[in-house]
Amino acid sequence: MAGGGALRAAVAAVVLAAWSAHGLYFHIGETEKRCFIEEIPDETMVIGNYRTQLWDKQSESFLPSTPGLGMHVEVKDPDGKVVLSRQYGSEGRFTFTSHTPGEHQICLHSNSTRMALFAGGKLRVHLDIQVGEHTNNYPEIAAKDKLTELQLRARQLLDQVEQIQKEQNYQRYREERFRMTSESTNQRVLWWSIAQTIILILTGIWQMRHLKSFFEAKKLV
Amino acid sequence: MGPLLWPRLLLGCFVLLLPPPGAAEFSPSLDSDFTFTLPAGRKECFYQPMRKEASLELEYQVLDGAGLDVDFHLLSPKGETLVFDERKSDGVHTVETEDGDYMFCFDNTFSTISEKVIFFELILDNMGEDGQDQEDWKKYVTGTDLLDMKLEDILESINSVKARLSKSVQIQTLLRAFEARDRNIQESNFDRVNFWSMVNLGVMVVVSALQVYMLKSLFEDKRKSRT
Repeated sequence: MAGGGALRAAVAAVVLAAWSAHGLYFHIGETEKRCFIEEIPDETMVIGNYRTQLWDKQSESFLPSTPGLGMHVEVKDPDGKVVLSRQYGSEGRFTFTSHTPGEHQICLHSNSTRMALFAGGKLRVHLDIQVGEHTNNYPEIAAKDKLTELQLRARQLLDQVEQIQKEQNYQRYREERFRMTSESTNQRVLWWSIAQTIILILTGIWQMRHLKSFFEAKKLV
Repeated sequence: MGPLLWPRLLLGCFVLLLPPPGAAEFSPSLDSDFTFTLPAGRKECFYQPMRKEASLELEYQVLDGAGLDVDFHLLSPKGETLVFDERKSDGVHTVETEDGDYMFCFDNTFSTISEKVIFFELILDNMGEDGQDQEDWKKYVTGTDLLDMKLEDILESINSVKARLSKSVQIQTLLRAFEARDRNIQESNFDRVNFWSMVNLGVMVVVSALQVYMLKSLFEDKRKSRT
């Protein structure tokens, strides 16, 4: 089984390298903050993986990995409450589960002071965010529940369909809110117009009466 | 499990090095989507490493912010501009890729006060066998399925169901982006109607009061000049 363990580690390494090789990346300045919005239904797990590389002026390239570089990750829920606010190293993985449906904001910024040493410090951040059933680790589930391959495939399909169903429920809730806002807007347009017209008429009447009484008082008419 | 373990491990190792045979002509497509806020007057760029003969499909939409438009550039690894969209509110682009890092940028420099919320989705095809694959799972599953030959057919149809469901999820993500934009339009309408109605009301009352005052003052002066 020792051979199996080494093979497993090798596979994991290949998968990790593959992920980093294909991942989207972007550049971030020293104290710059980058925020991403994830609109998710409730009770949904989100896993984010990131990897940072520092620009090295001498070799004119990005160093493979720099210890001592930290990223601060902050996650806010739709009501603005902070769900996660933690410091991670140059390579990190953050997880949170949503308890209210809506727009969650994931913000990353580097708090490293070492970048000040390298003038014009640029940081390359590889980022990958997985939501819902993509967060499940199927090899782990197979090992834990002792599933055959067919059972594992069926389990994955079930999870995927469940996620779709959750999203659709959330969509119905949002559509309802949208419809309420539209109807309220339409109603208000009507009431405001009627109110405006009435006020216009009343103001006109008041104007005429006031002027008339004024002229009469001044003995002009 | 004992006698079958080593042949299975060897098979798994062998399969990892070769392109997946048989039912997996289905090459896994990787996709990711992000929604972010682009502040006014800023340009933000993202990079995606690609392989030769893969395809990159990029779909973006402006969800919120004043004119709901943004400039979009897509540059090849050599630096030539493949796509330039000027002040569009959404777009879809597919490119056949070569080896290297593709850069795409969202440009909001033409706007000085309004920040934009932008959603984009990347769909990668033919990227190869990296990532979680059904072949990797062979090492983690326990037990054997009876009737292994018939099971290949069942596995194939389950694969196609998975592919279809993935497509559903993609479409769902897209619809969510559309809905978010519509919702933001309506909410800004709501605010706009409230605000301008109040302004209208105020203006009318002020103007009528002003008219009355001016006419009054006209007559006062005449009286004074007469006497």
